[in-house]
Amino acid sequence: MTTVDLHVSPLGRVEGDLDVRVTIDDGVVSSAWTTAGMFRGFEMILRGKDPQAGLIVTPRICGICGGSHLYKSAYALDTAWRTHVPHNATLIRNIAQACETLQSIPRYFYALFAIDLTNKNYANSPLYAEAVRRFAPYVGESYQPGVVLSSKPVEVYAMFGGQWPHSSFMVPGGVMSAPTLAEVTRSVAILEHWKDEWLEGQWLGCEIDRWLENRTWEDVLAWVDENESQHDSDCGFFIRYCLDIGLDKFGRGVGNYLATGTYFQPELYDHPTIEGRNAALINRSGVFANGQFSDFDHLRVSEDTAHSFYKGSGLLHPWEGVTDPIDPADGAKEGKYSWAKSPRYDVPGQGYIPLEAGPLARRITAAAPGAAAHQDDDPLFLDIYHKIGPSVMVRQLARMHEGPKYYKWVRGWLDAIQLQESFHSKPVEHESGKGFGSTEAARGSLSDWIVIENGKIANYQVVTPTAWNIGPRDGDGTLGPIEQALVGAPIADQEDPVELGLVARSFDSCLVCTVHAYDGKTGQELSRFVVNGNI
Amino acid sequence: MASVLWLQGGACSGNTMSFLNAEEPNVVDLIVDFGLEVLWHPSLGMELGNQAQKIFTDCASGAKPLDIFVLEGTVIEGPAGTGRFDMFADRPMKEWVSELAAAASIVVAIGDCACWGGIPATDPNPTDSTGLQFHKRKKGGFLGADFVSKAGLPVINIPGCPAHPDWITQILVALAAGRTADIALDELHRPQTFFKTFTQTGCTRVQFFEYKQATLSFGEGTRTGCLFYEFGCRGPMTHSPCNRILWNRQSSKTRAGMPCLGCTEPEFPFMDLAPGTVFKTQKVSGVIPREVPEGTDHVTYMAHSAAARVAAPQWSKEDMFVV
Repeated sequence: MTTVDLHVSPLGRVEGDLDVRVTIDDGVVSSAWTTAGMFRGFEMILRGKDPQAGLIVTPRICGICGGSHLYKSAYALDTAWRTHVPHNATLIRNIAQACETLQSIPRYFYALFAIDLTNKNYANSPLYAEAVRRFAPYVGESYQPGVVLSSKPVEVYAMFGGQWPHSSFMVPGGVMSAPTLAEVTRSVAILEHWKDEWLEGQWLGCEIDRWLENRTWEDVLAWVDENESQHDSDCGFFIRYCLDIGLDKFGRGVGNYLATGTYFQPELYDHPTIEGRNAALINRSGVFANGQFSDFDHLRVSEDTAHSFYKGSGLLHPWEGVTDPIDPADGAKEGKYSWAKSPRYDVPGQGYIPLEAGPLARRITAAAPGAAAHQDDDPLFLDIYHKIGPSVMVRQLARMHEGPKYYKWVRGWLDAIQLQESFHSKPVEHESGKGFGSTEAARGSLSDWIVIENGKIANYQVVTPTAWNIGPRDGDGTLGPIEQALVGAPIADQEDPVELGLVARSFDSCLVCTVHAYDGKTGQELSRFVVNGNI
Repeated sequence: MASVLWLQGGACSGNTMSFLNAEEPNVVDLIVDFGLEVLWHPSLGMELGNQAQKIFTDCASGAKPLDIFVLEGTVIEGPAGTGRFDMFADRPMKEWVSELAAAASIVVAIGDCACWGGIPATDPNPTDSTGLQFHKRKKGGFLGADFVSKAGLPVINIPGCPAHPDWITQILVALAAGRTADIALDELHRPQTFFKTFTQTGCTRVQFFEYKQATLSFGEGTRTGCLFYEFGCRGPMTHSPCNRILWNRQSSKTRAGMPCLGCTEPEFPFMDLAPGTVFKTQKVSGVIPREVPEGTDHVTYMAHSAAARVAAPQWSKEDMFVV
């Protein structure tokens, strides 16, 4: 047996700087370590600040899902201040959040992910020349329109939020803007253009309703061969190419999933509470672990720091979390290797386990029994999960499946806006309170926990999808989801281990997101840390 | 043809995302039509691991000519001056920044973080973050007040949180096209062509400002009025072309009813987000804005205000941005 230790630094195109170390036995990854290499300390900046500071600061944690950060930080304040949110405001928050994701779907696919499909490792595939023609960076026939048109959905964001990225227009009690008729009609026109040019014209090769008829994996395969247009669309080609080069064969991951859900039914969430959240969601929350569904409960979330560059190693709920950073050089001596913490979820009857967040998690949760009339109820990806299991390909398809779905929802929400009605209810700015806000960023579950005392932030904590996915081993030595997904990947060329990139990128993690998403109880600790640094 | 290496320090990738929204030129045009050679970019680069590291070392050593070095994000100097809060390609990022800035013909800071520290440098600045050539408004930063790149230029600052894609692409095109001499910089090293004007220049609410008519609530309240009086809008004190060159080709924060946060100025986020300062105009004696438009003073402001209110026509007290 040949064992090789391979260290890849940096592994780019994951939005931020990721280092990956793997052990390869006879050409197959046998173990993996993922390292997030950057720390910014946002939680310390928020501590003691204005209660609404999170609306300005947290979008700047991550420029890729800044709108998602804003969305959940607004709901954290809504629950803490017990606000009233007019129906129009809920609709506009939904529209903006979904448009950020509609931007991310093609931008991520072409600019970050599909480039790897042109890697010379796949030159033996009969479809390789076609992959290069479509997906080669900058010059690919699909790359160009895919990347350029990805800016269209966020034009709709700007219509309501002024700009994307980095607006702060969602505030407790609603939104700052009140659109005129033209903002709504232009939004419809922009989305229609994007759908015609990219979503249907380039990606699907059919109308979105035809794609959304697919309920099983057999349906998807039959869809590919149904006609030339679908067969030759980017989606049809992607499926055929994946099956040819084996992207359905690796990158399985932990096989257990978390979605905290997003988008609210306006009349069910005009007085946002933590308790009422699950029932008001359109994109449902839930946990799927070892074949069993259970309801999401934020109190079951904990974070572990056994292998993260912080003191301590216990499991703590974010409201009680302690973050005490140490010099990575010292941490390495204790076997710590990442700025990411390891979020874990206490699954009823199963204990604290790692869960994968992201579009596949959302799609599996969407197949859970018991959906209410207003909730997403879609069996496709649970069927695929059972029939062929998760993989790089399936994770990717789950992400792309949300394009047509969210597009339809956004159109419906635009139609539901009542222009003459209210968009904001001035909240009472209570001196103290505790809040929880959460959403699904394009790449998965994103949550804030806020504690307000004496009119200022006493504690502010963010747990990001990237932390869920890219976190290191926990105290039990259990691998994080991406680490686990890397295990079993075949490595054809150790000088150019494209398979590692494909697995890691199939999670669409943003490292810039991970590495500063920690709790706020660190205010006193850095000075101690500096002393340590001097020793 | 100009070679560009773009790295991210203490960054959120927001400037990259903003850059990818560009049109005329879009990112593909820049590379295919304008001949920008992107040697590597964290979101766009093909290479990983050793292959990527070789690009950086070749640029630093001069083996590969580097025309434009772009930094997005702060330079992280902590803990205790080691830079180990931000490790990149097996070294503290700040070491790469030193070497690449010295090797490049032109150095460009994109976004507040790289210009002067931005949000990560907000009190208590947990990572000892700083900008390339400024720390907040103070000249110096990581490279020092006297730094000039090989072309004899200081760091060119394109601030904003994020920077607008057109500010980025137009400056890159100008540099690549040899129009460096036409880029006049202000005292904060910002290209004057973009940053001489105010955020308020071109704001659709400027008539309400003229007659001192305030927006009194968010949502439907923003169908009228100016956000300066109650909601802390910094449009009259901030230099940017946000209302001349619209965002995402559609709008701007102030047009959409959101107060300007002053994010092209080094003090952003202002007052370090202290309790009571977010989206609220700071006042003296309960009524007079603590900060008045640039170049005026409280006495002049009050006199102008009183006259303007008397002159205010009826329409200025009614909704303007109606359905």
